Amino acid sequence: MIKKILIANRGEIVSRVIRTCKKMDIRTVVVYSDADMDATYISEADEAYHIGPSAPIKSYLNKDVIIDVIKKSGADAVHPGYGFLSESADFAKEVAKTGAIWIGPEPEFLEDIESKCYCRQIAEKNGVPITPGTTAPVSNVEEVYAVASEIGLPVLLKLDKGGGGKGIEKISSFESEELTESIFLNMKKIGEMAFASGDIYVEKAVLNPRHIEVQFISDKTGNVVCLGERDCSIQRRYQKMIEESPSPIVTEKDREKLYDYTRKLVRAMKYTGAGTVEMLRAGNGEYYFMEINARLQVEHPVSEFVTGIDIVEQQIRIADGLPIPFTQEDISIKGHAIECRVNAEDPVSFTPMPGSITRVSFPDTSGGNIRIEHAICDGYKITPYYDSMIFKLIAWGSDRNDCVENMKTALNQFEIEGVATTVATDLKILENEHFLSGKFSTSFLKDENFI
Amino acid sequence: MGFNLEAHMPGLVARVTCEVGQEVEENQELVVLNCMKTEISCLSPKPGRVKEIMVAEWDEMDVGIPMIKLEEL
Repeated sequence: MIKKILIANRGEIVSRVIRTCKKMDIRTVVVYSDADMDATYISEADEAYHIGPSAPIKSYLNKDVIIDVIKKSGADAVHPGYGFLSESADFAKEVAKTGAIWIGPEPEFLEDIESKCYCRQIAEKNGVPITPGTTAPVSNVEEVYAVASEIGLPVLLKLDKGGGGKGIEKISSFESEELTESIFLNMKKIGEMAFASGDIYVEKAVLNPRHIEVQFISDKTGNVVCLGERDCSIQRRYQKMIEESPSPIVTEKDREKLYDYTRKLVRAMKYTGAGTVEMLRAGNGEYYFMEINARLQVEHPVSEFVTGIDIVEQQIRIADGLPIPFTQEDISIKGHAIECRVNAEDPVSFTPMPGSITRVSFPDTSGGNIRIEHAICDGYKITPYYDSMIFKLIAWGSDRNDCVENMKTALNQFEIEGVATTVATDLKILENEHFLSGKFSTSFLKDENFI
Repeated sequence: MGFNLEAHMPGLVARVTCEVGQEVEENQELVVLNCMKTEISCLSPKPGRVKEIMVAEWDEMDVGIPMIKLEEL
């Protein structure tokens, strides 16, 4: 049985994991950099260890120092959160070597899915639709053009091991081979530097798609349970801003199909733990497999709200070798949930704005329809070293309109002084007629002149 | 006469894009800062020659910290 979990992350997700650990009577160990000396969760955890300077590479991405903390604290499991080392096969392997349990899929699996071509091959083999294009890297621009003339423009060049919105370039015309060549070579260089692989593959660009993803959990006996879908189409620069469950566009029939694709992929890949299958929905209603995310996601609370399942608790149980205590038939989607990510950014230009929170007052959560995930307080210093997200607001309602109203009330109750935030942007989106009608695509923020 | 390129935003030094001895133009990128995962170019305020690089990758920057020492041509 897992008794003590080290949370190898920072910010709101640390508090989130601690909450479930307390419920399960599991002790917690947290780590912090110079910049996070005053983090609110240091006092919530049973033990806290300083792990170095503020730059992520010297602290939260420094495997050796975190492995040391596992040994020093005697933690018997590691929860990696999201971002940082959460999908690092090397780190997962190092953790396993100490004898501690990695709360996530097997390291070998993490290694395999780093390659998007591998995932596309598995999907194709198992009857899960993928966007037209290649399932192996291409070696030059002539090959790119050959594929493009077969499947039609525009196409996307993607780094096989890219991520986080990096390593994607669109090719819209055949005219300038020189330009394409320079894009191709530049991308290869970025890939080699940032992702240790310059492999590039080609896929057809889906125009104005919706980003639909299925949350699932899968245990070691092969039981796969899907926890509804999330619509994450409101995004800028491939970064999500607002997510919701269920999706206003996914029909019951679509959902069955998406669940079927998810089960096929998860079983073929022998995945255990919690994860997400990301799909793109084209304008004509076709779905295409994009990628599989082998971690807890930022937007997991919306799925928790509509299913009543604590996903972190299931992650920990599965890692401990326990079976999922319910089946697909036990899961029903109740009402509607929306998450707004609030960033320390200028609400118009989205320029990052670090600074100090002089005063903060949170919305009322006593009604049970509002959940706030954060790790901030009066006097908290938002440093420039990490992601700009400072908290997440999640609202539930009996239907989508009710949910939007609850979210608006909560956003209006929220008061923060000292730093600029994107609260005003979130409110504007929630009042936008196309958002309210449920008819939008991933280009929503651009189409509606938010960016 | 010398002049400095100072950080105009807090953040981490993502990379230095110039070399000592290099002649640079006005508005040429000399350093890239990473502020909350967003990359921000820091440009030379006027033409000059790079005399000294005072920062290294992942150094913590605050507004006004000198990063590159230059001399006028």
